[in-house]
Amino acid sequence: MVGYISNIYVGVYTVLVGMVITFKQMFKPRVTHQYPYQYEFERKDNYREIPIGNRGQLHNRVEDCIVCNKCAQICPVDCIYIDSRKPSGGRGAKLWESMNVVHLKDRKQIIGIVEGDTKKIEPDTEITINQTVPTGQTRKVSSNDVDRIVERKKVTFYMDRFDIDMALCMYCGLCTEVCPTECLTMVDTLQGIEYSEFDRANLNYSFVKPELYK
Amino acid sequence: MATEESKFIEVQPFSDEMVLSMGPQHPSTHGVLKLELRLDGEIVREAIPHIGYLHRCFEKHAENLSYPQIIPFTDRMDYISAMNQNWGFCLAVEKMMAADEKFSGVPERAEYLRVLVGELNRIASHLLSFGTYGMDIGAFTPFLYAFRDREEILLLFEEICGARLTYNYIRIGGVSRDMPPNWLDHVKNFIDYFEPKVDEYNTLLTENKIFIARTVKVAVLDEDMAINYGITGPNLRGAGKKWDLRKDEPYSIYDRFDFDVPIGHDIPRIGAVLGDCWNRYKVRMDEMKESVRIIRQILNQKIPEGPIMAQYKAVRPPAGEIFDRSEAPRGELGFYIVSDGSVKPVRLKAKSPCFTALSALQELSKGLMVADIIAIIGSIDIVMGEIDR
Amino acid sequence: MRQFFGIFGNLSEVTVGSSKPLAGLLLEILPPLPAFLEEYEQLLAMITACGIFVGVVPLIPLVLVLAERKVSAFIQDRTGPMRVGPWGILQTLADGVKLLFKEDLIPPYGDRVLFRLAPYIIVCFSLAAFVAIPFGAIDLGDERYVFIVSNLNIGIFYILAVSSVIVIGIIMAGWASNSKWSLLGSLRSAAQMVSYEIPVGLSILSVIMVVQTLNMQGIVDQQDGGLHSWLIFRTPFSFIAFFVFFISAIAEVNRTPFDLPEAESELVAGFHTEYSGMRFALFFIAEYANMFAVCAIAVTLFLGGWQGVLPGIDILGGLPGFVFKTLFLVFVMMWIRWTLPRLRVDQLMNLCWKYLIPVSFFNILGVGIWMLIFGADTMDMKSLGPSLVVIVIAVFILLKQVFKGVSGTKRETTPVPSS
Repeated sequence: MVGYISNIYVGVYTVLVGMVITFKQMFKPRVTHQYPYQYEFERKDNYREIPIGNRGQLHNRVEDCIVCNKCAQICPVDCIYIDSRKPSGGRGAKLWESMNVVHLKDRKQIIGIVEGDTKKIEPDTEITINQTVPTGQTRKVSSNDVDRIVERKKVTFYMDRFDIDMALCMYCGLCTEVCPTECLTMVDTLQGIEYSEFDRANLNYSFVKPELYK
Repeated sequence: MATEESKFIEVQPFSDEMVLSMGPQHPSTHGVLKLELRLDGEIVREAIPHIGYLHRCFEKHAENLSYPQIIPFTDRMDYISAMNQNWGFCLAVEKMMAADEKFSGVPERAEYLRVLVGELNRIASHLLSFGTYGMDIGAFTPFLYAFRDREEILLLFEEICGARLTYNYIRIGGVSRDMPPNWLDHVKNFIDYFEPKVDEYNTLLTENKIFIARTVKVAVLDEDMAINYGITGPNLRGAGKKWDLRKDEPYSIYDRFDFDVPIGHDIPRIGAVLGDCWNRYKVRMDEMKESVRIIRQILNQKIPEGPIMAQYKAVRPPAGEIFDRSEAPRGELGFYIVSDGSVKPVRLKAKSPCFTALSALQELSKGLMVADIIAIIGSIDIVMGEIDR
Repeated sequence: MRQFFGIFGNLSEVTVGSSKPLAGLLLEILPPLPAFLEEYEQLLAMITACGIFVGVVPLIPLVLVLAERKVSAFIQDRTGPMRVGPWGILQTLADGVKLLFKEDLIPPYGDRVLFRLAPYIIVCFSLAAFVAIPFGAIDLGDERYVFIVSNLNIGIFYILAVSSVIVIGIIMAGWASNSKWSLLGSLRSAAQMVSYEIPVGLSILSVIMVVQTLNMQGIVDQQDGGLHSWLIFRTPFSFIAFFVFFISAIAEVNRTPFDLPEAESELVAGFHTEYSGMRFALFFIAEYANMFAVCAIAVTLFLGGWQGVLPGIDILGGLPGFVFKTLFLVFVMMWIRWTLPRLRVDQLMNLCWKYLIPVSFFNILGVGIWMLIFGADTMDMKSLGPSLVVIVIAVFILLKQVFKGVSGTKRETTPVPSS
């Protein structure tokens, strides 16, 4: 009899205790972030919502790539396809003509041969770029618009194809760790995670830029 | 009067069994598991598990990959506690490479980081098992609470290694990245926030009379049966045996930390019996607290400065074979590697703890009701990715 | 013709005390009918009153569906639906439109007639219970008009009877689906609903013993003294009877912790697995309408109906007060749903037959003995005083224990050192 009544009491008591806990939860702030309409949100110490170093999708800065093939070898799923060839001239030719890449401040790039000094950019001067391969023209840009100029002198191989199949990539990051020039990186902003396509063939990213070679 | 034995044939009347397939797609089998239930009304005569719906040929695939390339694939075995899977594999390979004189041991800083992320992942894994168990029993709210806290842990992991679920962090000879500047403060904030939450979850679910009525005395897995089946981890500890690889055969630097190993008890106040579902579940809740204890000890000690990766020329273990095991959140995870001195293993076998736990389901479920089957699957905490590999 | 309709009598004038039902209100406030319809005015008023109910009452489940999603979200630290309309108000509309466009599948080897009939039966009889519930009252001149469609003399008995027919609809739905899962779910549900009718009836009985009438409006009229005259406070046993009624009502409506028939984790969706589109929407409407109906009955019987907290209909009275009290009880039902796990079938039956029914019998006995000792008039201070004292002390002790249990940590685990 005592067990019977204590059963009832314990049942009622634990139910009420549980209900009080859930009731108190109703008045605490919600943790939902309504994603597409709410990009920035406050965290306790204001660190970035997508931390630095996040492994997003791959990006290759081909003007730095020396086509060493290490990333393709280490990839566990073989999603990087690289075709390379030795440039004409054979082993005798030491210096091949290659281009400069002028990175502008609005994230555009102009590929050509820069006349003059490429190491130091003086403000308020004009820089002349000979775009011989793509357009055959000479362009002048103000040096205030220029972010940096990349020199490319000794290139071992020419790149014919550098495709990464993003649908196969498993985001392990091994290829970024073995790249000697750190040209292959993983984008750690929102661009690294927002890249869905309707057609799977569009996920085969092609990074090669033929205008880098004469 | 006939002279034969009998002219009439004795027929034992029995009612037809109903064969119900709790098919591969079901809201509460944890993953793609098909249970063929032979029912007699509500009572289960037999529950036969059919596995293999998630088989991805991991072990065969590993014969074509070099050792560093296999690590991302071990992430995908038990995807909920991926750090511990990485760690188990690296332990086995490092033990083989210890005979190689060019291999300096794993540096101290890397060991501390390994223990830190391993214990954090243990908390995350047990949180998920707690949440999904509540949801199977019918209480939907603890699931959301568990995932809210798990989200904080995943953010910590995202800061240190860049990914939320498939970390590829613990490498052969150390770890891949060093921690960012304020990471330890973030860990401390999380631990301070999380510790009273375990008590809150105990009050909400563990002490609830309805939950207790659903889980005590259900499917008692006693110690002998567990050892005979080869079950380890919280399932064995819920049956009363104090066996934890971190204490009994310490690997890495676990012998420097002071923590208890929770086991199940007979609790007459609520009617719990050693080895029933409630005890197995309670062991997991207590283990979360012990992990918090270990992390606090690490935070109070100073993590030594130094390299995070061992020095070696290449991962070419000398020829031989090894079987090494470590304590994953679901039991003892073992790796058996046969090497012939090249960069790729000849044979790799992963011993998964959930596989042995699931094999006991057939015997445990005889005579119980359909609703109890759900309770058992939740309490032995299986992940199909590990069972099928 | 006239003699035939005369059977219905003067529907607008069936009164108890001095209140007239809704049809009477309509006759009063609407302009007089043209002469050739004069003799049918009673009937037309009645039909219009029914029409108002049929139009308004099914809108309640639409609000409740959204309320459930928002309440569950707030309990679980989420925001619930936020996209459709400001703060997601129009979500139910979007759900309704979606369900309308779904394909109407009928299982090929099931019983087609029963499959189609089942949702209609369930919805009709869920809504039929609203006919006898008094929703509110207004004073017009010196007559009081009550918003009740039909003031039956056996009001509460009729409501109980009508709610029991829903079981047939559920069994039909499960059988006609030609699926083992549905059959299991519907049989479990039938057993559960039939068993829990008994504590419902018995706890209502212990209330009827105090008011000595089955007429719903009469029950409300007897609670018109203010907060202390509500039937829940008349005897301590009525207090317990309220909770027994509430628990059994949750079981009647098939909600967690008693929702094994439609348990998502086990039987996919129980007896309504095979229904899609608008038929499924009908089941949903029936469930929420049923929920509202049992809460309305609980408010009428125990919490004073449309009577206010003070004598008169001023504070928390009338139609707004009634709706507020009912919605509060509905909120408590939702709150319980999202907190508690589910009971297994045999534990459910155990709870009913071994715990709730003996407690209901004990209640009836208790009320009888109380009335014997303290006199049959429970409004007298001689009887009401001790009752209020006992109730307040018991509730106080229980709540103190509960709040201590929420914050205290007397666990059996190993204590974690803070260093």
